[in-house]
Amino acid sequence: MPQAVLEVRGLTKAYGQIEALKGIDFEVAEGEVFALIGPNGAGKTTALRVVATILRASAGSVSVEGIDALKEPDRVREIISYLPEEAGTYKSMTGETYLKFVANLFYADPEKRSAALERGRVIAGLDERLGDKSGSYSKGMARKLLLARTIMTEPRLAILDEPTSGLDVLNALEVRDIVKRYAKGGAAVLLSSHNMLEIEYVSDRVALIHEGRIVDTGSPAELKLKHGADTLEDVFAAVAS
Amino acid sequence: MRRFLVLLKKELRELLTPQMLVPFLVAVLMFAFLGSILSQEEEKTRSTQSIGVVDLDETDTSKSIERALDNAGFAAVDLGGTAPESMTEELRARNLSIGLYIPEGFEAQVDAGRPADLQTYAVVRSFSLMSLGQTEMLKSVLSAVSSSISSQLIAEGMPGTDPDAVKHPVEFTEHVAVGTMEAPVPLDAVYGLIEQQTLFIPIILFIVIVFASQMIATTIASEKENKTLETLLASPITRRSLVMAKMVAAGLVALLSAAAYLIGLGYYFKGLTGGTDTLFETSSGTVDVASALGLGLETVDWMMLGTTLFLSILIALAMAVIIGGFAESVKSVQALITPLIILTLIPYFLSMLIDIESTAPALRAFVMAIPFTHAFTAAPNLFLGNQMRVVLGAAYQVLWLLALVVIAARIFSTDRILTMKLGFRRRRHRTANP
Ligand SMILES: Nc1ncnc2c1ncn2[C@@H]1O[C@H](COP(=O)(O)OP(=O)(O)OP(=O)(O)O)[C@@H](O)[C@H]1O
Ligand SMILES: [Mg+2]
Repeated sequence: MPQAVLEVRGLTKAYGQIEALKGIDFEVAEGEVFALIGPNGAGKTTALRVVATILRASAGSVSVEGIDALKEPDRVREIISYLPEEAGTYKSMTGETYLKFVANLFYADPEKRSAALERGRVIAGLDERLGDKSGSYSKGMARKLLLARTIMTEPRLAILDEPTSGLDVLNALEVRDIVKRYAKGGAAVLLSSHNMLEIEYVSDRVALIHEGRIVDTGSPAELKLKHGADTLEDVFAAVAS
Repeated sequence: MRRFLVLLKKELRELLTPQMLVPFLVAVLMFAFLGSILSQEEEKTRSTQSIGVVDLDETDTSKSIERALDNAGFAAVDLGGTAPESMTEELRARNLSIGLYIPEGFEAQVDAGRPADLQTYAVVRSFSLMSLGQTEMLKSVLSAVSSSISSQLIAEGMPGTDPDAVKHPVEFTEHVAVGTMEAPVPLDAVYGLIEQQTLFIPIILFIVIVFASQMIATTIASEKENKTLETLLASPITRRSLVMAKMVAAGLVALLSAAAYLIGLGYYFKGLTGGTDTLFETSSGTVDVASALGLGLETVDWMMLGTTLFLSILIALAMAVIIGGFAESVKSVQALITPLIILTLIPYFLSMLIDIESTAPALRAFVMAIPFTHAFTAAPNLFLGNQMRVVLGAAYQVLWLLALVVIAARIFSTDRILTMKLGFRRRRHRTANP
C-alpha cells in the first residue's frame, strides 16, 4: 500500500451541544481519490473543514504528510488546498487578478508563480471572460475559477467539498477528469459529493458516513458487492435508512 | 512578511473601491466648498457696510453722525426724505440691511440735555450664521453715534478736557493665567484661540474612528457574506498576518481620510473664522497669545497627541475586528457597530460641553473608563500643562488595545470566526443526533 498522505484518527467535533463527528478514522494514500458520502447533516463538511485546518477538532488527530494538523496548522496549510462547499470569489477582482493573488500568496519565486498561474488559467477555462470582474460570473464559472485556484498550487492534499455542484454536465465531466488526473499525478484528493455516479467514476475508495460515524469503507465495487446492491445509490439508501 | 504584503495589497484593493471612496471624497469637497462660500460671504459683509441715512434735522449734530459713521468704517447712503413707513421698502430696494432715521428737532433735544430720538431699521434677510454679523454691525453703528454725540457734549460742557479721558477714565490691562503661564492678553482672545485649536481634533477623530471601524468590520463581514473567508482561512497565512493586514489596510485608509478631512475642514474653518490670528495688540505692544500662554503645542506635545489619537484608532479597529467576527452580513455591521459609535460619541460631546474632570465622581469614572475619552481630552490637557494626565491616559489605552488584540486574535485562531453569530442560528440541516 502506498504511503498515506492524510491520516485521520478518532476525530470528534462538537458544535456546542451538537456532536457532528463522533470519532472517525480514515486515511488517504498518495495517488488516491477518497470520497465521503452520506445524508445531509451527516458530518461530511465538518470533517473536511477540520482536515482543512479551519475548524479545531474536539478530540482525535489529523496529520498530513506526517505533520500534525492540529499542532502545526500553518505548516499544513502550505501543502493543502481547500474548495469549500459554498465558496465565493472577491467580486471586484477579475478572475485573472484572483488567480494572481493566490499564486502570489503561495509562491515567492516568479517562475513558479507564473507556472501556477498558467495551470490556473487552463483549469478555469474562462478564456477572455477571465478578464471580467468575477462578480459578473455565473455560479458555474465561479465554481471553476475556485477549482482552478485549488488545484493550481499543486497541493499534496486537495480537499474538495461537492466540487461539481452547480456545474453543467460537460463541465462536471471535465472537472471529474481533472480531479482524477490530478490524483494520479501523485497527490491525494479528499472529496465529498451527493452524485453517486460521480463518486463511482472518480473515487478509488469511499467512506459512508452517517450521523457523525463512518459506517463502512471500501472501493465502490467492494461496497456494492458487500451490500448486494447494483448501484452506489442503493448502497447509500441501505446505509442511510 | 511577503504574504502579509500580498494580503495587504488585496485588502487595500478591496477598500479603495469607488463605492468606498466617492462618498468620502464628496464630503471633503463639500467642506472645502462650504469653506470657500463662507469666506466669500465674510468678504462681502466686510466690504459692504453701507448704512442708509435719512436726515430730517440737517443740523451740525446730525451731520456729525455721518462723520462718526464714516470714521467707524461705514459708508452713509443718503436716503433723502424717505418717510418712516417707507424706510424698510427703501432699504430693501437699495439692498441695505440697516438704516438710521434722524427726525427733525434731534439737535434741539440733544442741546436741551434730553435723550434724543433716533429710529433704526434693520432688514433681516436670512437666519444664517453669517447674518448674525448684522447685530454686531448695528451695535457698532449705535455706539459710534452715541460716542460722537457724547464727545460733542463733553467738549462743549467741559472745555479743555479730552472727551475720551472722561468716557474711559479707567484703562484695563487684562492678565490671563493658563496652566503655569501668565500673560497680559484679553481673556476672550484666549478662549477664541483654544476653541479654534481644539475644535478640529475631536471632529476628525470621531469621523476617522467611525469610518475606520466601519471599514474593517465590513471587510470581515463581506468575507463571510461572499463566502471567501473559508478559502482565506485555509490558505498559508498566519492568523496574525490576516488580522494585521486587515487592520493596517483599514488604518492606512483611515489616516488617508483623516488627512483629507483635515484639509477639507481646514478650508471650512478658515472660511468660518477668517483664519487663525493669534496676534493681539495690547498696551505693551503686539503679543502672540499662543506663545505667551504656552498655548502652542511643542514637538513633544504633538507626539503625545498623535500617540493617543493613533491608539484610539487602533482600539476602534480592534473592536471592529471583533464586531466583524460577529456579523453575518455586511448589512448587520451597521447595527453591530452602533455601540462603538455611541462609545465614541459620549466622550466627544462631553469633552466639548463640560469639563469632565469636575463632574460627579460616578459619571467621571464612567467617562474615563471609555478609552476614547483620553484622546478627546488630550489636546485641552496639553494646553493646560497636564502632560501627566495624557501619558496616563495613553497607558490606559495601551492596556485596552492589548486586551482587544488578544481577544481578536483568539477569535480568528479558533473556530469562532466561522461559527460565531449573534441572534438566531439559521441551520441548513437538522441536528445529527436529536
Ligand atoms: N456552524 C455550526 N454550528 C452548529 N452546528 C453546525 C454548524 N455547522 C454544522 N453544524 C451541524 O453539524 C452537523 C453536520 O453538518 P455538516 O455540514 O458537516 O453536514 P454535511 O454532511 O456536510 O451535510 P450536507 O450534505 O448537507 O452538506 C449538522 O447537524 C449541522 O447542523
Ligand atoms: Mg456539506
